[in-house]
Amino acid sequence: MDRSVEPLIRTKNLGRTLANASVEHVILQGVTLSIERGEFVALTGASGSGKSTLLYLLGALDRQSEGEVWIDGVEMDSLDDDERAAFRNERLGFVFQFHFLLPEFTALENIVLPMLRRGTQRDEAEERGHDALEMLGLGDLHGRKPGQLSGGQQQRVSIARAVANDPVIILADEPTGNLDSANAEGVFEVFASLAHDQKRTVVMVTHDSSFATRADRQIRLKDGRVI
Amino acid sequence: MKVLAPLRTVLFVAVRQLWERKLLNGIAVGGVTLGVLVLIAMNGIMLGFQEKFTSTILRISPHVTLFDTELRPKPPPLERLFGPRSVAEVAHQSPSKRQTEIKRPYEIVRALRSMEGVEAVAPSVAGTVLLDFGGKTKSVDLRGIDVASQDHVTSIEKYMKSGRLRDLDVSGDAIVLGSGIADDLGLRTGDTVRAASPAGKPLDLKVVGIFEAEVPPVDKTRGYTTLRVAQTLLGRPDSITRIEVRLKDPDDAIRVNDRFERSLGYDGESWQEANANFLSIFAMQTMVVRFVIGAILLVGGFGILAIQVMIVLQKQRDIAILRSVGLRRLDILNIFFVQGVVIALLGGALGDALGRLAIYWLGQLPVKTEGLVKSDTFLVHDEPSIYFWGIVFALVVGVVASFIPALRGSRVEPVEVLRGQIG
Repeated sequence: MDRSVEPLIRTKNLGRTLANASVEHVILQGVTLSIERGEFVALTGASGSGKSTLLYLLGALDRQSEGEVWIDGVEMDSLDDDERAAFRNERLGFVFQFHFLLPEFTALENIVLPMLRRGTQRDEAEERGHDALEMLGLGDLHGRKPGQLSGGQQQRVSIARAVANDPVIILADEPTGNLDSANAEGVFEVFASLAHDQKRTVVMVTHDSSFATRADRQIRLKDGRVI
Repeated sequence: MKVLAPLRTVLFVAVRQLWERKLLNGIAVGGVTLGVLVLIAMNGIMLGFQEKFTSTILRISPHVTLFDTELRPKPPPLERLFGPRSVAEVAHQSPSKRQTEIKRPYEIVRALRSMEGVEAVAPSVAGTVLLDFGGKTKSVDLRGIDVASQDHVTSIEKYMKSGRLRDLDVSGDAIVLGSGIADDLGLRTGDTVRAASPAGKPLDLKVVGIFEAEVPPVDKTRGYTTLRVAQTLLGRPDSITRIEVRLKDPDDAIRVNDRFERSLGYDGESWQEANANFLSIFAMQTMVVRFVIGAILLVGGFGILAIQVMIVLQKQRDIAILRSVGLRRLDILNIFFVQGVVIALLGGALGDALGRLAIYWLGQLPVKTEGLVKSDTFLVHDEPSIYFWGIVFALVVGVVASFIPALRGSRVEPVEVLRGQIG
């Protein structure tokens, strides 16, 4: 298959069902979509619409109940647990709503850790970490631990972590959801710049329609379906 | 080094997380430390007493003793005449007046000396006599010995408080007494004491020396004299009733004794058999102490387990982050595993150090013991291998205790944590 023609992300009839003790809960069904390389896509929808679940499926964090997810030419269901971990490590970058950083590690160490697991030398990883922090305007805060950073700063650090590993796709789950409007704007700008200036592929879940409209494309979900 | 990447990452995370939770992990380390400390101290005390007892027993007792009891005695006369199946009973048979003794003892002594593993052999005659001094009497376990050879089997000269053992040979009718007897009768070297037994001829003996082997049961009952004097006193001219043997390796005594019994036909006894009652108490004591040590190490293990389970539960979010950025299940398992092992090793090392101090301190503690053995300080034995075992047991405890939490941590599903957070 020619990879320049093939979209970076492609799903086919994707479904996800959560089985509780007694009831089966359909979260996603029949999602067929494709996202091109370099696109900045916003996943929107009301709470419970399945947008986060779709993001986890696109991020090899969750397993679909039916259908296919192709990312960068690989069908996710064909990978076992370790292969998916390696896939996330090497090709994906995550940013979560609650700026998931490890509290015991400094900003720089948080960024370096995934690269270390990948086998990057410490020196090189730190250099790339510094570059990423610099790019996000946090150059002199590399030695601080998450507890010593503001919410906006923490979120920038987690973006730096996602970017530093040079991923194929950056996946963000409500990255501005927990920030005040000024910080939210700043963080959104970072994503916009990653997509437009650095031509990275960004998939962002957001329920903020003002941000969503500024993305290249919006994919709207309702009750587990794309509308 | 790509192959080392997982290991480096795991160590990086594990050590940092340990360090950032110094209090909790310190408590876990403390539990292990306590276990290892108790292991070392209790083992030291137990071995201290046992070793002291054994070494004391070994310096004052022969390794193997041959007695005058024949293992294959001749059957009674009627049975000899009519065969073993004959029905014959003599009512009110009077006890045999024949005194038992070892026949041709010096041939046996010579034979024993040439046997492999034998260091020294000494013939002796043993019996009970009454000593009378200034109106006080006391029963004494008297040993008639060949002074030169006996001292090679169980050294007595070394433990003389006053006088000399070899003066027995010089002074004719002489005796050497244990310090306990001398104290009871108020005897001193140079005094003369009257000795008598039912069968023999009473004699006045000069006390030429007093010994103290620091084994109260011996010091309070035993007296030594020459073979000739003892034979006269006991009314057993020329007879030898026991042959005592010292071996090159005392641990060999049971085996060597079996060999002697088979080849010589006399009942023999190894020092282990002679002290079987104490040795079996020691075996029981060892078992109980090991049980207690095991229980305390187990408690230390539960300390690690409880704290690690708590940490794993608190760290769900961090585990989800690590998994989402590409750490595998095995990496997560290893992170908690490494933490358990580090806690165990720290606890083990600390326990070793404190255990060494405890052993030293206990060894200095003035405690007077005067029962089976005599000592002025607490008896401890500093066995180097115990420190190794301390670490090994700590490690086993750490590995076992951290396995469950580590497994639990590795099973955390990042999506479930993320879903919970986002709601």
